[in-house]
Amino acid sequence: MTWLTWRQFRAQAITAVAALVAFAILLAVTGPHIASLYATSGITRCHGNTCAGLATQFLEDLTSGRGFPLLPDGANAYVILYFLSVLVILVAPAIIGVFWGAPLIARELETGTCRLVWNQSITRARWLAVKLTLIGVVAMAVTEALSLLQGWWAAPIGKAVGLGGSASIMSEGRFGSFVFPTHGITPLGYAAFGFALGVTAGLLIRRAIPAMAVTLAIFAAVQVATPLWIRPHLIPLNRTIATAEAAQANFWPTGGSTIAATASRVAGQPGAWITSSGAVNAAGQPVTAPVACESALPHVLSGGSPEWDNCLASHGIRVVVSYQPVSHYWPLQLAETGLFLALALALAGLCFWRLGRRLS
Amino acid sequence: MTAVIETHGLGKRYRKLWALADCALSIPAGHVVGLVGPNGAGKTTLINLATGMLAPTTGTIEVLGGRPASGPAQLARVGYLAQDAPVYAGLSVGDHLRLGAHLNPAWDAEMARHRIDQLDLDPGQKAGKLSGGQRAQLALTLALGKRPELLILDEPVASLDPLARREFLQDLMETVAEQQVSVVLSSHLISDLERVCDYVIVLVDSRVRLAGSVDELLATHHLLSGPRRDQDTLPVGMQVISASHTDRQSTLLVRTSGPVLEPAWTVSEVGLEDLALAYMKQATGRGRRNRHLEVQK
Repeated sequence: MTWLTWRQFRAQAITAVAALVAFAILLAVTGPHIASLYATSGITRCHGNTCAGLATQFLEDLTSGRGFPLLPDGANAYVILYFLSVLVILVAPAIIGVFWGAPLIARELETGTCRLVWNQSITRARWLAVKLTLIGVVAMAVTEALSLLQGWWAAPIGKAVGLGGSASIMSEGRFGSFVFPTHGITPLGYAAFGFALGVTAGLLIRRAIPAMAVTLAIFAAVQVATPLWIRPHLIPLNRTIATAEAAQANFWPTGGSTIAATASRVAGQPGAWITSSGAVNAAGQPVTAPVACESALPHVLSGGSPEWDNCLASHGIRVVVSYQPVSHYWPLQLAETGLFLALALALAGLCFWRLGRRLS
Repeated sequence: MTAVIETHGLGKRYRKLWALADCALSIPAGHVVGLVGPNGAGKTTLINLATGMLAPTTGTIEVLGGRPASGPAQLARVGYLAQDAPVYAGLSVGDHLRLGAHLNPAWDAEMARHRIDQLDLDPGQKAGKLSGGQRAQLALTLALGKRPELLILDEPVASLDPLARREFLQDLMETVAEQQVSVVLSSHLISDLERVCDYVIVLVDSRVRLAGSVDELLATHHLLSGPRRDQDTLPVGMQVISASHTDRQSTLLVRTSGPVLEPAWTVSEVGLEDLALAYMKQATGRGRRNRHLEVQK
């Protein structure tokens, strides 16, 4: 069965390896340049307040494209490369699900070859087990390899952003919606899930093309939903109440007299991922805007008003911040990877059950 | 001796339609069994149940004494050539032989190789480029290569031209004689099967109408012609399968275990094709309403 799996999967495997090699070459050619720019940027010897400035300077040098080995100055090549390299890792599991997963059983059902292969001296369960295991492992390995390559390539950028630097799209920390699911071990979970999702869709829909479309739609929906509603709650959030100044927060009037707040840092927790914030009184209860501050009310569309912020602060209004501290990075990675691996296993189980019950 | 296929109350329903109902069969080993019936009669459903591609809605089916597709050992004992002889279009003829060798412990590589040579198939050719007849032969080689005790073929010649049809059946018969394998093959054309079968099952409207060895069926069915008379006046034990009347004459196809003794009748033998057609006609006269079900899944 291993032979047949390999024989049928050979073309896709070669394509995947070719894509991986092309990706590696592209990053290997440009990666050392990023590293040397970083080494000469002075960030490595920075202290305290100078770090953020140097980091931003480094990122701006990168994004402006100065000294890029292959393209003219100002081509923004690193911005494009950075964006594309993250995008590749982000969409790899979807591509795997669509092109490897969905046709895996659907194509056999469509062409009738399932009736050939399921009548050799091997059970359907064994057939499926070998296919899922081998191709699933390749899917996970390829995606994780992409991630590791990009992680190496973008390490200086990550460090600069971690020090407070920011330029163009190079501004996402480790918890960013694009950075978190493409680094660490999460690509393993997404690859397994995407593949299993495709296989399941193919088995249930029995037609490759519709199954491919459904796989893509569901995977995209999951990718959007995860950072918004799932990831923040995989591990209980920390909460802290701080002054607006400490949290670098702005207040916003939101209809009626309620107040919204957007905090941008947690004191003593650099790099923390702030998932939500709100205005409260010193006791931690939600508050409404004091009448006394109405004269300083900012125009809805004009952005924050410092007078209003000060007025609210003088009335004892604080900011409550929900966040995941940096120390939660790996636990969150584990939880998210575990969640998607578990989903992949559940889908695989569904396939085994379905294949055994509703035969042919 | 174990029956190659034994069913009790076997039925398969798709939503509200019964593709096969009340099927009770016991096919002895060592026969070439023809499964005939019009399109949609339930032939493919019966075959899918026998190969374990479908699970029954009611009743039981045992193939060679075991539950179909219940494990590698059971799968190894049954060779199956599905309708339209599916093969992997992207794999070569040689790849298919390797597939057979890898997936069947009892694979007869020498025989398979020999067959491919005899058929003049190029092992390097992609299976997708083969003609219908060649594809059927390749699929048959795969089914035979695993050295099955029972070979099941679903409409193996339906898509072949008359010459390829004849060649395929001839080759099948030679191989069957060499390998001593029981065979069940279906067709909606009984003329295909007449030459090769020694046991026949007629399926019409999801039900088995007739089953038995060809010799026995031919010995117990007679075509009677004589002066016109009412069917009710026939001797006890004589069952009328079909009747046609002119003003003065009646022609009856009857089934009877005893000899026909009445001197008024001219008794003649009936061919297998006419016999099967008579049963099909008889059945369709009764239940035309659920004939539109052709299940090929």
